[in-house]
Amino acid sequence: MGRPVDDDFQMSSLFKENNYGNIKKCKTLVWWHKWTSLICTLFLLLLCVTGLPLVFHEEIDDLSKTKKEEMNPNGQTEQASLDVVLANGKKAQPNKVTRFVFWDDEDPSVVYLSLSDSLTAPPENYKILQMNAYTGELEEQLKVDEGFMHIMLQLHTDLFLGIGGKLFLGLMGILFIIAIISGVVLYGPIMKKYDFGMIRNEKSRRLKWLDMHNLLGIVALFWTFVVGFTGVINTLSDVVLGLWQQGQLAEMTAPYSDAKPLHPDSLYSLELATKTAVKAAPHMGLRIIAMPGTMFTSKHHYAVFMKGNTPLTSRLLMPALVDAKTGKLTDMRKMPWYVNALFLSEPLHFGDYGGLPLKMVWALLDIITIAILITGLYLWVSRLKASKAQLARLDNKSPVLVQEELNHEF
Amino acid sequence: MNFKTPFLRLWGIPILLALATLVGLLAALIGDGLWDALSWLLLSSLVLVLVYYIAKANRKA
Repeated sequence: MGRPVDDDFQMSSLFKENNYGNIKKCKTLVWWHKWTSLICTLFLLLLCVTGLPLVFHEEIDDLSKTKKEEMNPNGQTEQASLDVVLANGKKAQPNKVTRFVFWDDEDPSVVYLSLSDSLTAPPENYKILQMNAYTGELEEQLKVDEGFMHIMLQLHTDLFLGIGGKLFLGLMGILFIIAIISGVVLYGPIMKKYDFGMIRNEKSRRLKWLDMHNLLGIVALFWTFVVGFTGVINTLSDVVLGLWQQGQLAEMTAPYSDAKPLHPDSLYSLELATKTAVKAAPHMGLRIIAMPGTMFTSKHHYAVFMKGNTPLTSRLLMPALVDAKTGKLTDMRKMPWYVNALFLSEPLHFGDYGGLPLKMVWALLDIITIAILITGLYLWVSRLKASKAQLARLDNKSPVLVQEELNHEF
Repeated sequence: MNFKTPFLRLWGIPILLALATLVGLLAALIGDGLWDALSWLLLSSLVLVLVYYIAKANRKA
């Protein structure tokens, strides 16, 4: 009775040859692999497809940006005072407040201001002004919440659903990781009798796609695991931020917990405060400054986040808290391990830390992941069809026989 | 590649590929220049391995 030979699923031959304990183990693994994959596949496909243009977001963004040479025609090296930059931002957007000042890793000729309706406005309420770092003049207001790349980014991070969507995608990522692990463990018994890289393309489409699925999966295994795992960590960014606010930040600013709030017009010079921070960490560079009263600092401090100068340490930030009234350095500490884990998981997820060639490899591996998902989905659909066809054949038989056949189907 | 024991016959190449991925991912984090190049080389080797085996299967067919 049985299915035609060329439609034979490898697992069934496997079951016949192994002892009962192994059969049970394999059945459990197949169950886990099938269901974790099925639940996450459509979302993973979405993540892979939207992730593809996002890998190249810097290159794509650069297309619409002013060129460096145009920004610095006289070859200046002296940077404008941040106080001037802030004032020019205020002039351009009088009804908004600056929450963050940040720099471009690649391009020293620009500094960005992030402005919002108020210090406590929700995170998605912001406009980015691109300022000339040498003259302090406004270059342009960047379009942040529109266009193709914005849609890709939102679909990729939270499906336009905010933190709930983000955590949901994190859950899909966890299922993806379980699918990867169960898939590797299954690879052992499946490939036991075969050579690496076997693709049987003469017998049936199903066998060919099964072998392709196994080969693509095992080759891209570690990359998919790392990108999946770091993706899950990235979905926890809000949780990590909360932990840091409640932990290290609260500790560092504890002496100020009862201090009176500062008037926004009586703040100490940002330029001088930044110089104090740079003096305290002379071997580090500026990455981002959080203005007093924003989510990354206290109501009484400029938080100047300094970065290291190697590809690795440039990802690990060190906050220097400078008193926004007196300009004195309050505290500077390395960030706790869970924040560093988040910072390190960013490059390993984005692939943006080794130049354009690395991004191209990232894109290729992303496409390979799409192929793994599609071949997997195909295998499930064709299996479903085969089962149905078999059920139809079994229609004329006694219920006991049907049950026996179904048992055989795991 | 020729692996002697059944374990290595099954897992030899997958282990090598995972190591190549691990070193490739870390290399570009550790440094620039040559480290980046090492990373490109090791990670693109995954793609080349796939191309090799798929081409081999197509030749046979």
